[in-house]
Amino acid sequence: MASLKDMQFVIHDLFDAAGLFHRLTGDDSMDRAFINSLLDEAHRYTEGAIRPCNRAGDEVGCRLKDGVVTTPPGFREAYRGFIDGGWAGLLGPVEYGGQDLPATFGLLLEELMCTANMAFSMYPGLSRGCVHALMKHGSEEHKRMFLPRLLTGEWTGTMCLTEPQAGSDVGLARTRAVVRADGTWSITGTKIFISAGEHDLSDNIIHLVLARTEGSPAGTRGISMFVVPKFDVDGSRNKVTCSAIENKMGIHGNATCVLNFEEARGYLVGAEQHGMKYMFTMMNSARIGVGLQGVSLAQAGFELSSAYAHERLQMRSLSGPKAPDKPADPIVVHPDVRRMLLSQRAFIEGGRALAYFASQCVDTLLLSSDVQEIQRSQDLLDFLTPVVKGFLTEGGFASVNDALQIFGGHGYIRESGIEQLVRDSRITLIYEGTTQIQGLDLLARKVLLTQGKGLNRLLPELSQVAASCDAQFPEMAQRLRAIAEEWPAISLQIGGKAMQNPDEVGSAAVDYLFYSGYALLAWLWARMAVCAGDRILDGGEVDYLAGKIDLARFYYARILPRLNAHRDSMLAGGDSLMNVHASVLMANR
Amino acid sequence: MDYQPPERDIEFLLNRVFCLAEEWSGTPSLEDFTADVLSAVVAEGGRVAREVLAPLNRIADTEGCRWVDGAVTTPPGFKSAFSEFAAGGWLGLSGNPDFAGQGMPKTLGCVVEEMFWAANPSLYLYGTLSVGAALCIDSHGTPSQKQVYLPRLYAGTWTGTMCLTEAHAGTDLGIIRTRAEPRPDGTWSITGTKIFITSGEHDLAANIIHLVLARLPDAPGGTRGISLFIVPKYLHDDSGQVGKRNPASSGSIEHKMGIHGSATNVMNFDGATGYLIGEANAGLACMFTMMNYERLSVGLQGLGASEAAWQFASRYARERLQSRSPSGIQNPAAAADPLLVHPDVRRMLLTIRAWTEGGRAFAMLVGRELDRSKFQGNRQAQVFSELLTPIAKAFLTDKGFESAVLAQQIYGGHGYISEWGVEQLVRDSRIAQIYEGTNGVQAMDLIGRKVLRDGGTTLRAFLATLSPHDLTEEFRAAFNDGINRLLRTTEALAKRSAQDVNLPGAVATDYLELSALVIFAWLWGRMAETAIGTPLAESKLQTARFYYARLLPRILSLEAAIAASSDVVMGPDPASFE
Repeated sequence: MASLKDMQFVIHDLFDAAGLFHRLTGDDSMDRAFINSLLDEAHRYTEGAIRPCNRAGDEVGCRLKDGVVTTPPGFREAYRGFIDGGWAGLLGPVEYGGQDLPATFGLLLEELMCTANMAFSMYPGLSRGCVHALMKHGSEEHKRMFLPRLLTGEWTGTMCLTEPQAGSDVGLARTRAVVRADGTWSITGTKIFISAGEHDLSDNIIHLVLARTEGSPAGTRGISMFVVPKFDVDGSRNKVTCSAIENKMGIHGNATCVLNFEEARGYLVGAEQHGMKYMFTMMNSARIGVGLQGVSLAQAGFELSSAYAHERLQMRSLSGPKAPDKPADPIVVHPDVRRMLLSQRAFIEGGRALAYFASQCVDTLLLSSDVQEIQRSQDLLDFLTPVVKGFLTEGGFASVNDALQIFGGHGYIRESGIEQLVRDSRITLIYEGTTQIQGLDLLARKVLLTQGKGLNRLLPELSQVAASCDAQFPEMAQRLRAIAEEWPAISLQIGGKAMQNPDEVGSAAVDYLFYSGYALLAWLWARMAVCAGDRILDGGEVDYLAGKIDLARFYYARILPRLNAHRDSMLAGGDSLMNVHASVLMANR
Repeated sequence: MDYQPPERDIEFLLNRVFCLAEEWSGTPSLEDFTADVLSAVVAEGGRVAREVLAPLNRIADTEGCRWVDGAVTTPPGFKSAFSEFAAGGWLGLSGNPDFAGQGMPKTLGCVVEEMFWAANPSLYLYGTLSVGAALCIDSHGTPSQKQVYLPRLYAGTWTGTMCLTEAHAGTDLGIIRTRAEPRPDGTWSITGTKIFITSGEHDLAANIIHLVLARLPDAPGGTRGISLFIVPKYLHDDSGQVGKRNPASSGSIEHKMGIHGSATNVMNFDGATGYLIGEANAGLACMFTMMNYERLSVGLQGLGASEAAWQFASRYARERLQSRSPSGIQNPAAAADPLLVHPDVRRMLLTIRAWTEGGRAFAMLVGRELDRSKFQGNRQAQVFSELLTPIAKAFLTDKGFESAVLAQQIYGGHGYISEWGVEQLVRDSRIAQIYEGTNGVQAMDLIGRKVLRDGGTTLRAFLATLSPHDLTEEFRAAFNDGINRLLRTTEALAKRSAQDVNLPGAVATDYLELSALVIFAWLWGRMAETAIGTPLAESKLQTARFYYARLLPRILSLEAAIAASSDVVMGPDPASFE
């Protein structure tokens, strides 16, 4: 399977994850053979149990009757396999029944699951966030109450932030929490867009809910976090009910719920009014996962469209027939079809490298005992997270649209399965903070506020990779050096303007996000080219590795030039946006 | 969505930018189209779009078409809306006046078509295929064929289809298998299966006229062996009295990503009676008459999608309150500011606006060239319209989709929920990048047939008509820079492709976008200039400034990508990316 091989190239050849785990933990059991066997096993599970119910997930979707949600055919069995395989506990602490593996293992599993069936993969995906938040901020008692079953997968989790009037602006949330005599809380309010908020896969659902306690200040500072289990610890049904599920563009197999909390019993997580901070720890890890969803769906699109491009016979190659015994040549001979295939591939492999690099930062900061190394990883991760989320989901959507285009008219027909990927992937640009929110987070918080902490950690890496390219790939080295100069210069320039006018940040943010994404992929593609070249000299598989170098060249020649447009567009500044009269932005002209 | 016809912008283009009444005043067949007449047609077309078509757009999606035993039921309300729409004469707008058409200029057709597409694409599809079929019959049919079909197609009592695609033959029509056997009475027996036949079967009209591509028994292979046939659903006499059912029937309809209200049929022809139209083995040329029309029309579908996106997004951005403006509270009476205070929401809104109004101007430019050709016999204009058609099809549909996706983004999570309607727009607009020749095929048409075949002569001649002096001064330098980049790129491509047969295909998509962005730059500078002194002055100038500052820079990326060797695309072994 091509994607496993590509995943192994990134994990082993490019990043030597096994070496990193050994160095950080002193434990050499997580070696390449172990990683490969886990990958194989995960792949067997995802292909055997999850992919087969992906189409039914889309066609049948979820049904709600009397507050009970029925998931699509096959989902319950597939989830049973998830529990039985022990996949839910991959990352959790041993004392609560987990296997305590580094975060990268979770990412490998998530990628395979999402490629096979995104809607299904979201059920356990949300549990992971819940575990994460409880681990980090929950009391010992709460951990004992909730973690063991979450880590077997018998229970699943959610995160309940959004309300009808409060989407990107969480500070507008109105859900109330009133303390009870026994120290628990009474939660009342309505949450919308709650993924996996109600379903029939698990025995219990553990909601993490943002709400306001009495007398708390307005805005995000007044928000606290509560655990609200569907079935309370004594087994009684808590007063949280699903009143509707949404009809959506895609991910039909995942129930998006309206949840009503009517004096439901809740348990305060951590301290009062710290909810937003806690939610962010959860959200940051979720954002890496969502970014990887972009890559995973692109991988699914590539698998379908590349198979189609090799089978579908249509027109002759302009340079002479390539399949003279057939009525026409396979469309893979046509330059524009190749451009679309290569664009997908360059995005997928570059994007995968970026997501796993971020994941290595997570592992390092959690496992290292070296303060400087921890700080470095934290700085990098802070910087990379919004890029991973924003850039990889945007790129994923563009990629599945290329895949659909290769199918021509057949791509528009549901049974081809490719249009489902376009519909499914569209949500990734929206949830867990829209692309716009990621752009602002990157430019305002991660670059300008920290004076480029994360970026400054990266720039020497770019120069170092440029130096390693000099001999074999001089044109890449040259581009990379130019980026290493231009990127901080642009950041400074925008920072200067932002001092005068705060709107300059938002005006540049999304272009800056894209610029950063393309720049990071340039760095990683150069690394991959060098790595592939080294592996060839070591006697690696020449055809396969030469393919990486080809993709790197394609990326530099055809994709990377997009930097230029984003640079000039953001440097043009905000005047053309902000000096526009409001009437120009209104419907009636 | 409550659709509002963009009448003010349309009239601005008709009267100020293109000054059409003036342009036509010396042409006898167009003299009647004074500014008042244009205005009346636009107003009535807008009314029909808003009141008749738009109200059925949601139900088109939620109910879709149903197929039972070969019969197709369209969504509730479609039947009466289509009759009302057709009775208004909209299908015969540009039709031949000798056969009850209205003989109006294409430019005007572009304007009303955009509104129909924006209001309800799946309902208007039944209309546009009839218009295309009528055009083809008018161009290639016999007098008696015209007599029977044209008045009925214009009136919408009968509708048309184009039957090209077969399961194995999409872009590559040269490999179709549908057969046509001669009969002693001079008619033909048509046998074969066609797929993706829009409006192939439905309940809106008394008869359906299929234009079918098929091969004669002794036909040469490839595209030179294809003939075109008229195959009516019901056979009829010369007076149009319908009789027996022809064995041309729908085997099923497709479940699609969008345009659910439009029936996409598998059509089975089982020895159906067909009538040859045009010369034997010259069917593809005949079909191209129809296809060129359809390509511009599909471009207008993209434009309609942009306009719909604009209306969705600009309303929501004003109503939805979320977060405070970075430069201080703008709406102190409420808990948050409207979305449109946020810089990136503005960037998205203005992007949609720039594609929409720029696209409308571009479509009108193509319409004008078609009218100069048809009504004034202007050969150069004909060549220009051929140059611009693939750009209209591909660029306007790409930007229609981009606009729809941006509008959806402005809605945030709500944009993903069906009931808000904006995700339907995304799904509906996606098809326009594919059908009537994928946008990749359009890009190849532009770079290969329209630009490089004459060494760029036509392109240079066209660009020479875009004078920088017509633009507001602040835009001239940037426009000149854009033109120079396009000319340099074209010249280099002409040289490089002489040695490299794969190069045009490898860069075609980027080249089409580059060309379009430069032409749009002229249109935006021109609109800014002509709007001076009108109520639109501010909005045109500000949107033009946005276009030049934030969208035109894309040409830098495209120029650099086109400069790459085709080796980066053709070199990698396809087996390596299996």
